[in-house]
Amino acid sequence: MTTTIAPFSYIDTDWQIPGRIRDAHRRSWERLSAAGDWWTGAERVSIAAECRRASALVDGLPDPGAGPAELPEAAVFAIHRLIGDLPNVSRDWYDATVSADGMSDARYVELLGVLVAVWSVDEFHRAAGLPLEPLPSPITGEPTQRRPAGLADNGSWPPTLAAKSLADSEADIYLGFPRAANVWAAMSLHPDSVRWLNDLFHAHYLSWEEIGDLETEHRTLTRAQLEIMAGRVSALNECFY
Amino acid sequence: MLRESSDRQGTLDRLNLQGAVDHSDSGVPHDSLLTAFAEAAVRRTDSLPGLRERIAAELGPQELVDSAGVVANFQRMVRIADGCGIPLDDFTKEASEDWRDQLGLHQYASAANTA
Repeated sequence: MTTTIAPFSYIDTDWQIPGRIRDAHRRSWERLSAAGDWWTGAERVSIAAECRRASALVDGLPDPGAGPAELPEAAVFAIHRLIGDLPNVSRDWYDATVSADGMSDARYVELLGVLVAVWSVDEFHRAAGLPLEPLPSPITGEPTQRRPAGLADNGSWPPTLAAKSLADSEADIYLGFPRAANVWAAMSLHPDSVRWLNDLFHAHYLSWEEIGDLETEHRTLTRAQLEIMAGRVSALNECFY
Repeated sequence: MLRESSDRQGTLDRLNLQGAVDHSDSGVPHDSLLTAFAEAAVRRTDSLPGLRERIAAELGPQELVDSAGVVANFQRMVRIADGCGIPLDDFTKEASEDWRDQLGLHQYASAANTA
């Protein structure tokens, strides 16, 4: 008799990993393996694999290998820049990337959504001293190629959805808030990336509702301790926003 | 957010925002240990395992998990912000006008991408 261990079981860890983190990581791997709107499941797993290759390159570690599907050259280049060369991300670079063969603004945003989700799950593991979870096997399926209605130039490079412009199919992405901060709306060209962000944001940090509640301590670290660390990580990445 | 939370906790008068961008004392309890951990995690330095153990021993294992979560979250958020060239929100622009220059944030390459 064989036993299958679910991903992110955190059985032999020195620290107890809360259920909200474990469950969000499991949902992340489910999302990762399935087709999105603009990439197949195999391509999404390949984006994750390339993300790990980029990280290994920066860290001087052995190449962990490519994923199951070939990615456009511009996608591979984008992944390496977003992981290891963030200061050189620019408007000109973005315009060239989304215009390249096999790319578009929608494919770029979905790629970014996959990249930041996998990267942050992996960064949690690295910071906590845990081994990286093996990537999931892709699920067969075709991208929907669905572009949401109501997109507009709201100042970000890709078009975004304002809270007041949400169609019924996207009504959930800002959790009913009447407006969304620009970083929250940044990936709304691919609405499921916003849903994924909401899930991991709450798991790793605070929910969007908890952010506005400065009267309650929602974690074991105080709010000021969370924020001084957030500021330090942002400063080390030279993030102006 | 740091200013707001310190204000609510009555520690705003002791808050030094410079502590988020360098190693100066921010006024936040255990800030040097927490920011050293954040820096070791982002820069992949050899001090990370020792800092991890120190947070677990001095603050607690759940505080270590919280700390890893903050690193994970903001390693993600900076890439969304810089990868999409998002503008500053109006409320942030107004609230931060006085100290962005003071902290040298305009020297970051990403400042050119964030209107």
